[in-house]
Amino acid sequence: MQIETIYLPASLTVMHSRELLSKAESIIKLREKPAQINLDFSDVTVMDSAGALSVHHIQHQCAAKNIDCRLHNLSTEIEHSLKLFKIGDADSFEAPHKLGFFERLGHLSYEVYISIKDAIILMANISYFTFTAFFKPKLRRRGEVINQGVQIGVNALPIIALIAFLIGFILALQSAAQLRQFGANIYVADLVAIAMFSEMGPLITAIMVAGRTSSAIAAEVATMTVSEEIDALKVMGIDAIPYVIIPKLYAITISLPILATFANVVGIIGGMVIGVTYLDLEVLPFFNEVISVIRYKEIFIYLLKSVVFAFLITFTGAFHGFRVKGGAEGVGRSTTSAVVLAIFLVIVADSIIGLLFYFEG
Amino acid sequence: MAENPVIQVNQLSSGYENEVILEDVSLEIYANEVVAILGTSGCGKTTLLKNLIGLLPPFEGSVSLFGQNLTQLDEDEYYQLMRKTGVLFQHGALLNSISIYDNVAIPLEQHTKIPPFLADQLIYLKLQMVGLQKYANFLPSQISGGMRKRAALARSIILDPHILFADEPGAGLDPVTANNLDNLLLSLKQKLSMSMVIVTHEVASIKRIADRIVYLDNGNVLFTGSLQQAMQSDIKQIHNFFESAS
Ligand SMILES: Nc1ncnc2c1ncn2[C@@H]1O[C@H](COP(=O)(O)OP(=O)(O)O)[C@@H](O)[C@H]1O
Ligand SMILES: [Mg+2]
Repeated sequence: MQIETIYLPASLTVMHSRELLSKAESIIKLREKPAQINLDFSDVTVMDSAGALSVHHIQHQCAAKNIDCRLHNLSTEIEHSLKLFKIGDADSFEAPHKLGFFERLGHLSYEVYISIKDAIILMANISYFTFTAFFKPKLRRRGEVINQGVQIGVNALPIIALIAFLIGFILALQSAAQLRQFGANIYVADLVAIAMFSEMGPLITAIMVAGRTSSAIAAEVATMTVSEEIDALKVMGIDAIPYVIIPKLYAITISLPILATFANVVGIIGGMVIGVTYLDLEVLPFFNEVISVIRYKEIFIYLLKSVVFAFLITFTGAFHGFRVKGGAEGVGRSTTSAVVLAIFLVIVADSIIGLLFYFEG
Repeated sequence: MAENPVIQVNQLSSGYENEVILEDVSLEIYANEVVAILGTSGCGKTTLLKNLIGLLPPFEGSVSLFGQNLTQLDEDEYYQLMRKTGVLFQHGALLNSISIYDNVAIPLEQHTKIPPFLADQLIYLKLQMVGLQKYANFLPSQISGGMRKRAALARSIILDPHILFADEPGAGLDPVTANNLDNLLLSLKQKLSMSMVIVTHEVASIKRIADRIVYLDNGNVLFTGSLQQAMQSDIKQIHNFFESAS
């Protein structure tokens, strides 16, 4: 009969367990495995819980392979520790296991399913209360529409003005050289006007507002959710959607078209600066050209876009706000997700509306 | 006592920015004893604790842990030392974005290279010791305050520390849960043969667990000695402290 003896090191702690385990492993895995393994404790002076668990593990492995595992020269102290640091019925312990591909796929599909369901319900709720809360102001938080209008609309004016001006300016600058080659200087007015009205004005406004406001809504709603304020509202008989969300929706729906109009005008002024300084145009003909090229269709489209964007921005903020998980750090995550989703949806909606009206003529 | 103290504080004065909170504090803590640091709210207990674990540098004087002066250690030596200490913060200080299991695993990942299955077992063992083995996969926000304290305790003892610091372990807990937590601390102390430094102002808790008492008043050590001696002390503040609780 073959007998292997492992002399355990002086300190059998969490720092040294690795070597011991691999040593034992290599012996147990031998082709001609020994019939008996002796663990000799005579040198061991310190043993901590990790050391004890390692010894138990070796015993366990030996038992599985029909190897007789014996402990020798145990001091009473070590014996005591071995008894103490022993895990009980391990089946009640669920160490997090790595998910397989299909498991992850399943989880993901379920997440997506739940998200879509939640999104549809929330959309329906918001749509419903958009009308009912209009006629029943009692459902809304008082003074909130104006309050939010100031925060969402007025406070966003400077940054939107700056960006719109720069975009109009750059649009005109980029096309000025080409137009000049053909002597078509005046068409820079058409170009800037069309680009601002049907695309850039509403889009950049919506993106700025999405960044500023959907994050703010998500943060507010998420904070309210994790600090049980939403629950508190509920037991006081108040529905959070008309109370918190709808005033913001109204405020955004009112301010977004106004902001977009403002952005259009400022953008055209930006273009005019190039027209006047670089393309030798007069101010008045430039504006006449702008007015002649804008039709009702352009105006209708950008107003329509603004309203759609307003809904999307409010919706994403609310959606991620209500879905918050965990405590304070969940709020941060909701906020980020809301901004990303809001900008994404705004651009998608912009493309869809653009396409619809392009083919319509 | 003949043996070397685990912690030696020498004429320590410390505080924040320009404010001196502790003045001329000296004390010693020995292996296997449970020392309670008492005092009214705001007297500098947490400040002293932060000094003992090197989170706050002394203005004057020194703090030695296991014979090593904390201010003279480089970063590596400091972390080596911290491996032998466990700290239970006042609010648990669990990372909220990860599960209980992952929280308890942090020191293992930081300080050791043990194989994953052994880490699993070790985490299980420690969670079992605090009675949370069923909650390994919960997030801190999904369990109660007392459970969070116990989870934090499991994290602080994962490396079998030689000394455990606890800042008001019973604060914010109901009396029954606080009592259980004290008993848990005591049984862990037995199992792991640790010293413990416990900051508290709860008399019931002191009576249950403390071998020795350090009473802080206005940043000074007003009294050190056994509970018995403290109860019979005729120092006014200490008398009041114990009177007001009974
Ligand atoms: N980070 C800090 N900065 C400045 N002062 C502090 C800080 N933390 C605590 N203090 C002050 O130190 C004093 C003692 O506080 P602390 O040690 O927390 O008391 P306690 O005994 O209740 O734990 C208090 O007066 C407090 O205002
Ligand atoms: Mg404190």
